[in-house]
Amino acid sequence: MTASETRAADEDLDEPRFEYDQGTFEAEARRQRISRNIRKVGAYTTLSVFVVIAVGPAVYLISPAFRDSVSLFSYPPEWLPSEPTIENYRFLFRHTEYLRWAVNTLIYATGVTLVALVTNTLAAYAFATMKFPGHRTLFFLVLATMMIPVAAVLAPTYLTVRMIGGWPIIGNFIDLDTYGGLILPSAVSPLGVFMMRQFIETLPSGLYEAARLDGASEWRILRKIVLPLLKPALVVLGIFVFMLTWASYLWPLVAATNNDHRVLTVGIQSLNGQFVTNWGVMAAAALLTIIPVTIVFLFFQKWFVQASMAGALKQ
Amino acid sequence: MAEVVLRQLSKHFGDVRAVDNVSMRIPEGEFLVLLGPSGCGKSTILRMISGLEDATSGEIAIGGELVNFKDPTERNLAMVFQNYALYPHMTVFKNVAFPLETAKRKASDVKEAVEKAAATLEIGELLDRLPEQLSGGQRQRVALARAIVREPRVFLMDEPLSNLDAQLRQQTRLELMALHERLGITTIYVTHDQVEAMTMGRRIAVMQGGKVQQIGPPVEVYQTPATTFVATFMGAPPMNLIDGEIRSTNDTFQFVRQEYSLDIEPLTMGIDPSVLEQAVGPSRLGVRPEHFSLGPPDAVSGIPGIVEFLEPVGSDLFVTVDIGENQVQVRMPPEAQVRQGEAVRVTFDLHRSHVFSTDERNLRLIQPA
Repeated sequence: MTASETRAADEDLDEPRFEYDQGTFEAEARRQRISRNIRKVGAYTTLSVFVVIAVGPAVYLISPAFRDSVSLFSYPPEWLPSEPTIENYRFLFRHTEYLRWAVNTLIYATGVTLVALVTNTLAAYAFATMKFPGHRTLFFLVLATMMIPVAAVLAPTYLTVRMIGGWPIIGNFIDLDTYGGLILPSAVSPLGVFMMRQFIETLPSGLYEAARLDGASEWRILRKIVLPLLKPALVVLGIFVFMLTWASYLWPLVAATNNDHRVLTVGIQSLNGQFVTNWGVMAAAALLTIIPVTIVFLFFQKWFVQASMAGALKQ
Repeated sequence: MAEVVLRQLSKHFGDVRAVDNVSMRIPEGEFLVLLGPSGCGKSTILRMISGLEDATSGEIAIGGELVNFKDPTERNLAMVFQNYALYPHMTVFKNVAFPLETAKRKASDVKEAVEKAAATLEIGELLDRLPEQLSGGQRQRVALARAIVREPRVFLMDEPLSNLDAQLRQQTRLELMALHERLGITTIYVTHDQVEAMTMGRRIAVMQGGKVQQIGPPVEVYQTPATTFVATFMGAPPMNLIDGEIRSTNDTFQFVRQEYSLDIEPLTMGIDPSVLEQAVGPSRLGVRPEHFSLGPPDAVSGIPGIVEFLEPVGSDLFVTVDIGENQVQVRMPPEAQVRQGEAVRVTFDLHRSHVFSTDERNLRLIQPA
């Protein structure tokens, strides 16, 4: 085929061959834009409903926290305080052990978080990389404990901790009404083991093999290769455990009965009087309590997103 | 540097024999290629030598010493992985230094060794980068630098070029060969690419189904394939196999296929008639595409057929001819005048063909010219 033949055959492409009007292009673009917007409105409406359900109660706390108890029950109801007051906070700090509870909660949540990170990561690393006899069964058993409600093991855990409390030396650290007794039973979570194992399994196995051939021991592989790569996962698990522990109620309720070890959730509940409840003070205490965890979450939000993306991206 | 010896090495995964009784000796400084399709057991052999996988039975000796029961660490081997397995959170320097730091070498020694390895692989200016900031070819060099930095006794390479694009692959191939020449370290190289095997290996071990089918220098493996598997695996397009039968009538021999028959004259071809006598019966004739030629349909000799496809690849024209039960591929010069659907006769040089028995062995009737 010569060059002129090629051109002759292609002349057909220089002119439109079908009948239409330029306006049709714009009409089609408009139609698509509208249908896209309708879908967006639908999505945002649905999301808004969920946001209201999720955030509503917390927002609802704000108003009563700045009002006195009497105006809370005025009729017609006031949504915003006409005379905002910090009296509730003053009461909280002067007449309750709020600060003590807050310090206890911080120790409790931080302790649980640190211990949980260590135990969960070690267990997860073993489950993910070592094929010892019975590893499947053992992992299944660990997961199976997720199905047992906390309340069901409350009594055995209580009795166990009380028993350990009777032992020499170790009983000084782990007993009812000690930080050790509060922290330890909360610090091992099957969910954490499962989560970390999933993260570790997303790492290519070639990395361990290369490190093993490079002469690294298991500990060195864990420290130098796995842990640095798991940083986002560790942060996420840490925040997760911290927030859950910060808000946990049942175990601290039974394990720490004196004011020296009482945590915020239990403390706030104790403000509930037998005959009268000062709802303004309760609201103020609850509001103060959720502020630190909110800050922690906002601070590490970037990591949360990063970790949830991990594994979704190509290596 | 060390010799590697495998004796009756086997690896079973349940009922699957991934590696089945493999024995071979890889002399010090040799570049041996394990070649075969995926699942033939070549990577498993490499992993057993490295210690990442335990052998089910058999011996692995490196430098005259049994290593079966030694940890990977103690074997002093270096392995280059298909996906490079660089540590993503470490700089190139840290990656290359990792094996030395693990061995607790002095910081000054580490620096010196890393710089030397980096110079060898020309990655000196990349030392501060992270793996994600490197191209595929650069990552490959870093992986090689990490492998050579501690001067291992044996190099194991598991398809190290398969993640590179065609052009880079060819370039890296040459560089790997130059590197081997310079360092002289015993190298075992796994690939499924026969071009890599042909060009790089001092010897090739062709594997199938966990067994070594043939081991030898590339040219020998190409010219005298031991089995039909080797014959069809080596070469692109592969060797053509034509089903037929060897008959003998009154001291003369013929290769017969349908109405076609080819006289085999033992004396003029230097074949021992008694050997040929044993080959009488069904057999397959193997001919490489380059040893065929095409003639007109009214030619006096040749197998009649119809041209089915034409594949011009620039330097050659590959012609697929339907000859009844089989198809054969013929390599022609690119300017050859052949048309699809045309009737032709396929002729070939018996001196350069192979006769395979029904159990797929090369009977080696004809010695290659």
